[in-house]
Amino acid sequence: MSGAEAPPSTVGWENLARGAANLGVDDEEDVELRRELLSFRLGESPYAIPVERVREIVRMREITIVPRMPSWVLGVVALRGEVVQVVDLRMRLGLAPCEPSRRSRIIVLHGDDEAVTAILVDAVEAVLRIPEDSVSPASGSELGAVTELCEHGGEFVSLIDVDRVLEFCAGRS
Amino acid sequence: MAARRSKAKSAAKKPAQDSSKSKAYGEFISEAEEILERLRQDLADLADQRTSANEVEPDLVNRIFRSAHSLKGLAGMFGLEGIGDLAHHMEDVLDGLRLGRISMEAPAVDLLDSAVDLFTASLADLDNPELQEQQAGHIAEMIQRIDSAVEPPAERPDELAGLPIDPALLRALTEYEEHRLRENVRRNRHVALVDSTFEIIAFEEGLSELSTAIREVGEVVSTLPSPGDAPESQIRFSLLVATEISTEQLMSRLDLCSANVRELRRASTAAELTPPAAPAPASSSGTESSVQPSAEAPEIPGTTVATPAALDAPVQRPELRSESPDIESLRSISETVRVDIRKLDELMNLVGELVIQRNAIANVASRLMSDSGTARMGAELSKTHKLLDRKLKELQAGVLDVRMVPMRQIFEKLSRVVRRLRRDHEKEVELEFKGADTELDKLIVEQLVDPLMHVVRNAFDHAIESASDRVAAGKPSEATILIQAFQRGNHVVIEVRDDGCGIDPHAVRASAEARGLVDPEDMLSHKETLDLIFSPGLSTREEVNGTSGRGVGMDVVRSNLAALGGMVDVTSSVGEGSAVTLTVPITLAIIQALIVGVGEHRFAIPLNSVLETLLVENSEIQHSEGREILNLRGDALLLVRLADEFDLDAQSDGSKQYVVVLGMGEQRVGLLVDRLQGQQDTVIKPIKGPVRQIPGIAGATELGDQGAVLVVDVSHIVSESSRRREAA
Repeated sequence: MSGAEAPPSTVGWENLARGAANLGVDDEEDVELRRELLSFRLGESPYAIPVERVREIVRMREITIVPRMPSWVLGVVALRGEVVQVVDLRMRLGLAPCEPSRRSRIIVLHGDDEAVTAILVDAVEAVLRIPEDSVSPASGSELGAVTELCEHGGEFVSLIDVDRVLEFCAGRS
Repeated sequence: MAARRSKAKSAAKKPAQDSSKSKAYGEFISEAEEILERLRQDLADLADQRTSANEVEPDLVNRIFRSAHSLKGLAGMFGLEGIGDLAHHMEDVLDGLRLGRISMEAPAVDLLDSAVDLFTASLADLDNPELQEQQAGHIAEMIQRIDSAVEPPAERPDELAGLPIDPALLRALTEYEEHRLRENVRRNRHVALVDSTFEIIAFEEGLSELSTAIREVGEVVSTLPSPGDAPESQIRFSLLVATEISTEQLMSRLDLCSANVRELRRASTAAELTPPAAPAPASSSGTESSVQPSAEAPEIPGTTVATPAALDAPVQRPELRSESPDIESLRSISETVRVDIRKLDELMNLVGELVIQRNAIANVASRLMSDSGTARMGAELSKTHKLLDRKLKELQAGVLDVRMVPMRQIFEKLSRVVRRLRRDHEKEVELEFKGADTELDKLIVEQLVDPLMHVVRNAFDHAIESASDRVAAGKPSEATILIQAFQRGNHVVIEVRDDGCGIDPHAVRASAEARGLVDPEDMLSHKETLDLIFSPGLSTREEVNGTSGRGVGMDVVRSNLAALGGMVDVTSSVGEGSAVTLTVPITLAIIQALIVGVGEHRFAIPLNSVLETLLVENSEIQHSEGREILNLRGDALLLVRLADEFDLDAQSDGSKQYVVVLGMGEQRVGLLVDRLQGQQDTVIKPIKGPVRQIPGIAGATELGDQGAVLVVDVSHIVSESSRRREAA
């Protein structure tokens, strides 16, 4: 980068230049190569979704059962003035259902167009910054909702395509 | 003026990027729409007055003039030359009208309606340059039509000849005032000069009091400061007035105002054809003999009317009255605030949240009271809660009230459409309105316009016969469409009744059978047959033949109404006419709900659809054709079990059940539930999530700390049950 090559005249300049150089790297490599993901568990298996789709994470609360809904919609919860459907992600992904525990969390997701949905997961773990080269395409997953896998902490994390899940849901209504 | 406000706004966001431009256009449009709305109503009134009264209220013409003027200013502010030009020409016509330069009978007046339509159409295409171009052509054409349609009034004798008015005073009148004076003489009214003296410091108030008193009985043609021997601290005004009552009567009325009345013209009785050309009659009875302008300085007419205290300019008459267009429109706009309905929604939501919190407080209070240790504190809290409750109710009513608009708004739109239809189709139809003051939530009004328009158009297109057919059938050649709105409980009912040909049930039936909507074997009642017009299959014109074709898109009307939690009903008798009844709730913002329980589930039912609740023994429930019915005071009430409707486990404990009687339009259904759990104020919220529509559920509401409760879609349940009854 030109900034880094210029002979630094002062310490301040040097820092600035280094900063600019790092920014350049970010622009070209890092942002593309690293993803911020929120990881959570369904049973023992780790899953993750893009952090930017997460609006909030709330504790398990009373879910009002709604009649005439697909089985994978548990019902609705009231969230500060909004009433939002809660999708049982286990059932959505074709996993065996499981009673909510103390570690269960409701993740509220938002889409591009003011759409809001909540998913129930067994436990929320952490925000991961995953280098792009440790992400690989997944094949033959349930519903095509898991499109990629990444390696983290010695295990494979399934990356969920939120839009695919929500789109599919909307289509079925 | 309206435009001024926009100017301030658009100047504030100076960087004229595209986005801000379209936003600015948005502002322009909403402002222009407001003016157009007013214009339309005033033009409709004008048309009425022209035909019925033969005389048009001067204030009305002025108001229309001002609207056109505001439009022109507004368009200029946003650099929209084409429509600015159009407004300008409208203004010219109206100015001619108010000054009597153009005859009220001129064809130009008829063009004003079309000009307003064109204006409305151009607004819609503002951001489409291509259509704009097209509109520009239309506008140019319209302007030309207006120009060529302007017609000077017929020559008339000079009404002012022989009127004992001082020439200096006459010269001081504006063209408009002179026109008004002539008009009043022509209308054979009494004309008088009212003099009054006021303290300078308080003259505005005194003068407006006097003017108001006069306006009760006539018209103030002009207000002129008059010279005289008034002390320095006083100012004298002469008001040229025209009244229906005689000068003597006027004097007695103005007694309190300490004014001098001098008769200039006495209305001639029917016997006298021309006004007496007598010189000035005996002057008034006032003690302070008024000094006439002519006596003072007849040779310098310009300055005659200037008072010693009347400031610098010579004929500078104080603009106290509402004559100047700009001043008036500035005032009228500043009295109302236009608010985005979404802001009201937010406000309503906040109120809703408060209501929920209030419910929570009530809960805490009753819990505290039930414990002997905290009973006193609980009682105190309960008292506070009651006070809060009262204020909250006021707040809620206040916010609701702001959202309410009279049905008149829709009626105006309808009458415009019908006027146009009449022009195009040469059918003789009289449109009658009743209950224009009935108020409805703005949001519902918006949603109601299209369905209602549809129903009225249908009546016009299909129900009303040609004049000759009508005469042949022994009906008056002019048909009537009566649209009336009235409140019924928490609903507003809008009825569109015509005296046309009615709906032929056989034709509907035949068409429905041809579409496979009904089995030829089915026995249908008259009403059930008529209801078929709401079926989607019967939605195009050729399917029901021309004479009975009411089926055009009525399914859309029904679904639109259902989305509002309302209903549509039809009654008809062949040869006599039909009535379509639309029923909508007054507001959707905050509703009272009845909380019911089924098994472990709770549901909210909007109270405005609940007619009554009953506790019935199981043994009272009868069966008929596989349906459960209840004998309700002699009528068979169809029962629906909420548990069955929603596939829930009910736990009716033994022999008794609650029946919630739901009413929607003309239909009744009894909903069987396990428990009644009281009433609550609720705000219905949409249910967000992947499943967009849940049949039978209108939304959800929060109940204090108890989470979400689903709101039952009553119209769905009622119409579903009647459909099932038809199927049975």
